[in-house]
Amino acid sequence: MTLAAGPWPTFAERAVPRSRSGVLVVWRLELAKLLGLWRVRALALMCLAGPFVIVAGLNLQSATPGDTAFGQWVHTSGFAIPMVILGFGGQWLLPVGTAVVAGDIFSAEDHFGTWKTILTRSRSRGELFAGKFAAALTFATAGLVLLVITDLLAGLLAGTQPVVGLGGQLVPAGQAIVLVLASWASVLPPVLAFTALAIFTSVVSRNSVIGIGIPVVLTLVFQVVTLIALPAWGQQVLLSTPFQAWHGFWEQPAFVGPFCWGLVTCAAWFGICSAGAWLVFRRRTIGGAA
Amino acid sequence: MAEPRVIVEARGVTKWFGATTALDAVDCVVGPGVVHGLLGPNGAGKTTLLSALFGLILPDEGTLRLFGRSRGEAGPSWLDGVAGFVETPRFYPYLTGRRNLAVLAGLDGGDAAELIDEALERTGLAGAGRRKVRGYSLGMRQRLGLAAAMLRRPRLLILDEPANGMDPAGIRDLRTALRRLARDGVTVILSSHDMAQVEEICDSVTVLSRGQVAFAGRLDVMRTDAPDAVWRLRTSDDAAAAELSRSCAGVKAASHDDGGLVVHAAQDRLDDYVLRLGRDGVAVRGLELDTTPLEALFFQLTGEPRPGGQLPVSQLPRTKEVR
Repeated sequence: MTLAAGPWPTFAERAVPRSRSGVLVVWRLELAKLLGLWRVRALALMCLAGPFVIVAGLNLQSATPGDTAFGQWVHTSGFAIPMVILGFGGQWLLPVGTAVVAGDIFSAEDHFGTWKTILTRSRSRGELFAGKFAAALTFATAGLVLLVITDLLAGLLAGTQPVVGLGGQLVPAGQAIVLVLASWASVLPPVLAFTALAIFTSVVSRNSVIGIGIPVVLTLVFQVVTLIALPAWGQQVLLSTPFQAWHGFWEQPAFVGPFCWGLVTCAAWFGICSAGAWLVFRRRTIGGAA
Repeated sequence: MAEPRVIVEARGVTKWFGATTALDAVDCVVGPGVVHGLLGPNGAGKTTLLSALFGLILPDEGTLRLFGRSRGEAGPSWLDGVAGFVETPRFYPYLTGRRNLAVLAGLDGGDAAELIDEALERTGLAGAGRRKVRGYSLGMRQRLGLAAAMLRRPRLLILDEPANGMDPAGIRDLRTALRRLARDGVTVILSSHDMAQVEEICDSVTVLSRGQVAFAGRLDVMRTDAPDAVWRLRTSDDAAAAELSRSCAGVKAASHDDGGLVVHAAQDRLDDYVLRLGRDGVAVRGLELDTTPLEALFFQLTGEPRPGGQLPVSQLPRTKEVR
């Protein structure tokens, strides 16, 4: 160690001022940190390879997942495959995948004890919060986009025959592509709302296991509650309901009412969870207990 | 930017954690280019005060100013020119030391990233920079914390027990570096419970005890107020030696739990006492400094339990009010 070998770089020598937005800086660094985590890489790999594995598995058997929407058409049209994956993904895959990252992005700093390290670097809490939040949203969106692309590719490899819609109508290939993309796009709002929910639990709990676990448990609770004969408004406030809004796109005639209600529901969940997380984070005491 | 005359100014800073008062109307003023020691036993409030300086906790009462500006006045630039760490420096264990520094340099912005190689080199981590931090020892993490501080080109360096886990050579180098930093105009605040370390490198100190300031001022002033040193003495006849101490002005001796005597005396009085022991036929078999005057004052100020067998504070030969 040669700490004393010469003068330290001093403040007066600072030649290059900070110029970039703090939120942008934190966002970029958070994404770099996320890519250093094995579970994030594993999720990305799953998004990349999963659809092709599913197609290969379906080709090896004659049975079809007939109890899910489009399940009975997986051997007759490749467009059924991304919809089957979306049906399952909307229930489990997307909420859990989102929670694995967003539920840990704040509490990981508690786990590693690094809040003190990053909060002493001239970046405000607001910048750190917004940057981390944006990184979690970016990851959720990127994961969804990646899954759409690989789903569609896997489906197209399986065949481009017309697919039978939920109203019994035959949907030609060109329209089917549009509807597949629209259906996947329709789950982006609930995915982002779930991201905000996971961030809220991560901030409040300061614990990675709880941060990830609570959103997963809530997903299960939503599934169970859906089975109960709730009034219509009760169903509409559940965050799981907007994941099914795409069903209306494939009906004859198509309808978008559930999708619009879903947007309102997602906006409410997103706003409440984001605001709650910020309010808790803003005045949090970091260490320093007597 | 002209250097303000006061770098750190804490006035009446109070912080409660539930029913516990961590800081009770603490004042702490530190000027430029000095090494200021923050002393106190565990739980005295040192880390809480340092956390408040870094803005990690918000005081319930009182004001804090760095470089003459309150946090509200400074805004996001509150910590510009401030570096260091509170408690053991923590990093992302799944990233390498170099990558951790790159993340922090990214947060700092400017040309901080260009200093990473120099920082690793000067903290002796050049060879370990590509290893993941999860494999670092405590001393290596402390050094990585110093490297991270160096990236910020500090005008004010705040270090919480920086020598923890370091080897003797590293501690010596750290002390020299801190003195050199002060000579170069950098203000250093050093939290420690090691009085010997503080004596060696600090210009001034604030002693905290149970969240309150027990002493604040220059170290040389503190020395004049300190009680006598404490010595461990072993003789051929401890009972006779203790009896003889009663007739020696400025010397108090008592039996130690582990044998021998504990003697409170200034150096010149001790010399006279030892010479008298020899003249009276009591052989001195061992004599060593047990507690320096400043350590003795520290124990007195903080009410810390002293090593077994020593005289209670009320019986110290010299006791001065320093507040």
